[in-house]
Amino acid sequence: MTKPLISVKDLTVRFKTDEGLVTAVEGVTFDIAPGEVLGLVGESGSGKSVTAKALMLLNPDNAVYDPEGSITLNIGEEQIDVLSLAPKERMVIRGGAVSMIFQEPMASFAPAISIGEQMVEQLLIHSDMNKASAKELSIEMLARVGIPDPAQRFGQYAFEFSGGMRQRAMIAMALSTKPKLLIADEPTTALDVTIQAQVIDLMKNLVSEFHMAILFITHDLGVIAQTVDRVAVMYLGKLIEKGTVRQILRKPGHPYTQGLLHALPRLDDLDAPLTAIKGDIPSPLDRPTGCVFHTRCPVSLGAECQSRIPVYTNTEDGHQVACLLVEKEGAPA
Amino acid sequence: MSEALITTDDLSVHFPLRGNLFGPRPVVRAVEGVTVDIERGSFFGLVGESGSGKTTFGRALLRAAPITRGSATYSDSEVTYDLPSLEGAELKEYRKRAQLIFQDPYAALSPRMTVRDIIAEPLEVMGLTKTRAETDERVRAIAAKCRINLEHLRRFPHAFSGGQRQRISIARALVSEPHFIVADESVAALDVSIQADVLNLLKSIQQDMGLTFLFISHDLSVVAHVCDHVAVMYLGRLVETAPTRELFAGPRHPYTKALLSAIPSLDPDDQGNVVKLEGEIPSPIHPPPGCKFQTRCRFAIDICRKEEPKLGGLGFEHDVACHRWQELLDGPQASVADPA
Repeated sequence: MTKPLISVKDLTVRFKTDEGLVTAVEGVTFDIAPGEVLGLVGESGSGKSVTAKALMLLNPDNAVYDPEGSITLNIGEEQIDVLSLAPKERMVIRGGAVSMIFQEPMASFAPAISIGEQMVEQLLIHSDMNKASAKELSIEMLARVGIPDPAQRFGQYAFEFSGGMRQRAMIAMALSTKPKLLIADEPTTALDVTIQAQVIDLMKNLVSEFHMAILFITHDLGVIAQTVDRVAVMYLGKLIEKGTVRQILRKPGHPYTQGLLHALPRLDDLDAPLTAIKGDIPSPLDRPTGCVFHTRCPVSLGAECQSRIPVYTNTEDGHQVACLLVEKEGAPA
Repeated sequence: MSEALITTDDLSVHFPLRGNLFGPRPVVRAVEGVTVDIERGSFFGLVGESGSGKTTFGRALLRAAPITRGSATYSDSEVTYDLPSLEGAELKEYRKRAQLIFQDPYAALSPRMTVRDIIAEPLEVMGLTKTRAETDERVRAIAAKCRINLEHLRRFPHAFSGGQRQRISIARALVSEPHFIVADESVAALDVSIQADVLNLLKSIQQDMGLTFLFISHDLSVVAHVCDHVAVMYLGRLVETAPTRELFAGPRHPYTKALLSAIPSLDPDDQGNVVKLEGEIPSPIHPPPGCKFQTRCRFAIDICRKEEPKLGGLGFEHDVACHRWQELLDGPQASVADPA
């Protein structure tokens, strides 16, 4: 076993609000090996973005990290305890060893500074390059992600790029510092399907070429199936199931994961009825006791699910499910 | 049965832009020459990428976007309206019969009105009810149909989740008992587990009340599941239209094929033969000559660059606008000159 690139253990994030302390992420544990692509799936409010931002300490100031939780980054022989980094030391997780691609590339580029200048700026901060070589590398990266006429594009502004181009430029910028871990937060959600296919292709090629690990956050299970090695499913701040992409999509163990797959319109079977998961996602202010999913679960055991918090059951090698029913009766056939 | 509720012929919507002082003003051709029939009682899907003109087309049918050219007719069992010339009292009457459900349920509901007032507003504005008791009765009836808890009518929208809000939007659209509904990306903002619930609700209401839906979406798998008939738009033009099953089983237009194959498969081992499209949708201010798709089409030949193909019939209500669809169907694709 190689050492994981990043280990997240018992991560709990709460936010101080006027209505009290709101739990956004609770007891989340996962590892990402070097070169591995981990998909983090969940609906809005599941805490997937908060988890990702925690890795870069990008959550707002009212975020409170529980002292039991830890995030450890292993780079070479060095171990970095992310949560205890002083503000001045945070450069390494913000564009250095860890880099991020956001959902809305228009909002992530400064509108009044040229794309090229923004790319050069971060290279000057994170590497010991001089301006000329930083510019050269930036233009080369723009070419690599398939932007035609990169030398001219280098001097343009975000508004002069189309949506797909902007996302490519964002990827070029994130990769130019050669990060060990790339966090991609819904990188294709704002794009049309034909452009999404192009961007997914590009990311796949770059992963194998740069050999970096990716934390890929999305709500789209189709995108997950086509891009990641392992999947972690989140619901209401809890990580309820994890396994390889084939385990999760073919033999989902948790009733929530099963429900998600049934709710998805599939093109290979137009007659299959769409089955919704009953009810709505509870408010984070009013988190259910016991298993967080029991209010919507079709196979809830009643009182037991309402009071006891499920622990992980190993159903198969590396496939873990946090569900009392699975704990009792084993994995569903 | 197979009577059309909405018929358009060569419908175009152009938006003039601010030009310079000299020369002609540039024009955005958002919708160009769309000819289509939407049958009564059908669930008609309109798909396309951003910038394809699908939203503008829906709005033109509601008279919320100006119709520049062509005709559009609405005809139910009682009245017939010529949409471009509607005005005054007749336009108001049409608004009772044609309603819109918006995309974003967070933006569509006033935060200062109770759910009851939101749903009742169309009744009051259109003067459909005379007394408060009558209004309340209509509101409660439609709320029950949309599975809104009647106790929630007194609350404000901020207390509700996305799915509940979308059900409130649907109730408001339906309360005037319209015949025609334009649902513009009505489930796009919802999570998957909620989306299925709203889709099922729309479908069951459509069947119960005998409504006609124009369902606008960018999500082909959603359209495949709820619509009877699908039309595909690209750069303001209709490129293919067919009954849903026919379209998904045998897409003929290269763009439809590419669109279908670009949907990521749920099977990790099925990497698919994705038809990769190069480049992006051109600007509607300077559309390319000939077929609008020729800049991204790998089968484009000379005629495609010169002449715009007409939407033509394959039979079985399946129409496609492509010069080469028959050729691409008959000959093996390998024999087709494949430009590098």
